[in-house]
Amino acid sequence: MTLAGNPAGRFLSRVGAIAWKEILHIRRDPRTLLLALAMPVAMLLLFGYGVSFDVDRIPLAISDQDRTEASRRLAQAFTENHEFEPVGGADADAADTVFRRRRATAILVVPRGYETDLARGGPARAQLLLDAADPVTANQVLAKADAIALFESRRMASVAGLSAAPPLQVKVSARYNPEARSAVFIVPGLAAYLMAVSAVLLTALTVAGEWERGSMEQLFASPVSRLEIVLGKLLPYLALGLIQLLLVLGVGTNVFDVPVMGSPLLVILAGLLFLAGMLGQGLLISVVAKNQLVATQAGALSSLLPSLLLSGMLVPIDNMPAPLRLLSRIVPARYMVDALRQILLKGNGFARVWPDLLAMLIFAVVIVALATKRFTRRIA
Amino acid sequence: MNTGPSIEAEHLSRRFGEFLAVDDVSFHVEKGEIFGYLGANGAGKSTTIRMLIGLLAPTSGRATVAGHDVAHDPEGVKSAIGYMSQKFSLYLDLPVEENLRFFGGAYGLWGGELKKRADEVLELTGLAEHRKAITGSLPGGIRQRLALGSAVLHRPSIVFLDEPTAGVDPEARRSFWRLIRELSRGGTTVFVTTHYLDEAEYCRRIGLMVDGRLVALDTPAELKRAWVPDRVLMVRGRNLADGAATLRARPGVRAAEPFGSGLHLRVDPETWTGEAVRMAIESSGGEAVSVEETEPTLEDVFLAVVGRGAEVQAAQEVAP
Repeated sequence: MTLAGNPAGRFLSRVGAIAWKEILHIRRDPRTLLLALAMPVAMLLLFGYGVSFDVDRIPLAISDQDRTEASRRLAQAFTENHEFEPVGGADADAADTVFRRRRATAILVVPRGYETDLARGGPARAQLLLDAADPVTANQVLAKADAIALFESRRMASVAGLSAAPPLQVKVSARYNPEARSAVFIVPGLAAYLMAVSAVLLTALTVAGEWERGSMEQLFASPVSRLEIVLGKLLPYLALGLIQLLLVLGVGTNVFDVPVMGSPLLVILAGLLFLAGMLGQGLLISVVAKNQLVATQAGALSSLLPSLLLSGMLVPIDNMPAPLRLLSRIVPARYMVDALRQILLKGNGFARVWPDLLAMLIFAVVIVALATKRFTRRIA
Repeated sequence: MNTGPSIEAEHLSRRFGEFLAVDDVSFHVEKGEIFGYLGANGAGKSTTIRMLIGLLAPTSGRATVAGHDVAHDPEGVKSAIGYMSQKFSLYLDLPVEENLRFFGGAYGLWGGELKKRADEVLELTGLAEHRKAITGSLPGGIRQRLALGSAVLHRPSIVFLDEPTAGVDPEARRSFWRLIRELSRGGTTVFVTTHYLDEAEYCRRIGLMVDGRLVALDTPAELKRAWVPDRVLMVRGRNLADGAATLRARPGVRAAEPFGSGLHLRVDPETWTGEAVRMAIESSGGEAVSVEETEPTLEDVFLAVVGRGAEVQAAQEVAP
């Protein structure tokens, strides 16, 4: 039967026709599926295994000028947990050479008179020389050294019998990510990044393709409305994006033991809102660019860089200079990364993540409205 | 049911900045008519079509298509018509039947109705055996038939075909035109642009566009009578080249163009007869010359119209 006189039915028929056609395009074009499904998994494995901010077995050279029981005990404290790996002795004066030759990342210098100072109960000093060329590593090394030194001084205080029980048990514990594993931290960020890149690229390509082929004019000459085109185009990619999210999270939880503390439904809601914004961004790009080459480049640039650098995925937002911090506020990936970490790692619920969801919703509405408006302008 | 003309255009104009692409065009197209729209590239054919199908708003003037005003009810127009654009317009990576299904869905067909119409159209276009084939793997002529099939799937009362046979081989063009005549017999109005003048002979009426203006509009026979009062002669023989050059320089010879191995001449009937032409060519070295008077072709009409159009324009430019 014809659906003449039934506007809702015709609306669905048209959106359905476009969505179905899009699904056929995706099925026919292995590149799309590769871009959407294989690339994220490959990147996840690369990033998960390859990019690690965890620092252990830091090569440590020891310059023991005291050569006493106490100085050896201190050196042992540094190396016994394999946080530091002894690489032999070194002369403190030759530190530059040691670092330049990359023999060690740090040099522990125990000065002459260390044990004597300890025995006197006075401040005993040891020195850690650090190669801070890589500040990320240097910061972690410093933190570890601090913890070890503190722990060691407590131990000595208790051994010396200053108090029957140690005054304070220093226990270094990282919350939410107890082993401080990078993968746990990076998987949520990576999921947002991959969704952003492929959603923007795929939509930009598909709509620009219609312009390039000339089929957009054909669509405009049919009773299909702009909204129906937009919906028909976006729905299949929304579904594809969700599959992608679940795939990335599935690999994340199974391969990298990323926990899912919070509600999976909330994860999906966040994913939908985020994807809507990214698809809208792709649509806007393709409406403006109208050819696949420009759309690809603009799509990659506008999704890749912000979601990599301004989302907090790699660089904590609090560590950014003020202008970048401000700029990151309009990057939806920032909210997605935060929401995912909140939900997955901390088990937070709607009460905590609603500002993130709201921000992504606003972005999606604004960008889809902009794209639809630009879209309409094309027809005089 | 609308019994008036399918298409009515009244003083239709479209301006792009300084450029007047369509200049005060008026015509009617009757129901079931095959109406040919001819003109060189850039003459304003596509712009006219785009106004008639509701893609482009007219700068001035008005037009109704299937009873819908194109400026005020473009959506009504779009549902009533089928359109086959110049460039497109099939998805080459999809199978034939999926293309049909898509365009059917875009026009609100679905389910059993869509399936039935798709089968009918496959039959009509002779594509039933190719229904599963990937569209891109089929030759251009078959694709054009599929594109036409996609445009008539929803039973529009009018189809607009913008250069439907561009780049298609002659045999495929002929079968395409058989399809167009079949549609017209079924009561569908066909508005078709082309720059193949032989195809235009198939049209009931022809409009000729030159630089945005509709300068002639009539049946092919009437156009020939009105625009080519010259005597048209077909000359055959050997060594005609010198003869052609000689004739071109003589008064009363309007055109002397090579045509196949022969020579196509338009001459003033007052000053030239076939016999006079034969003698002139033989005296310039032509051998075994035969001269035959023929009907003017639409190409003769077109050249005459374009020449006149240019003269009119020159006169306008001189006038203050």
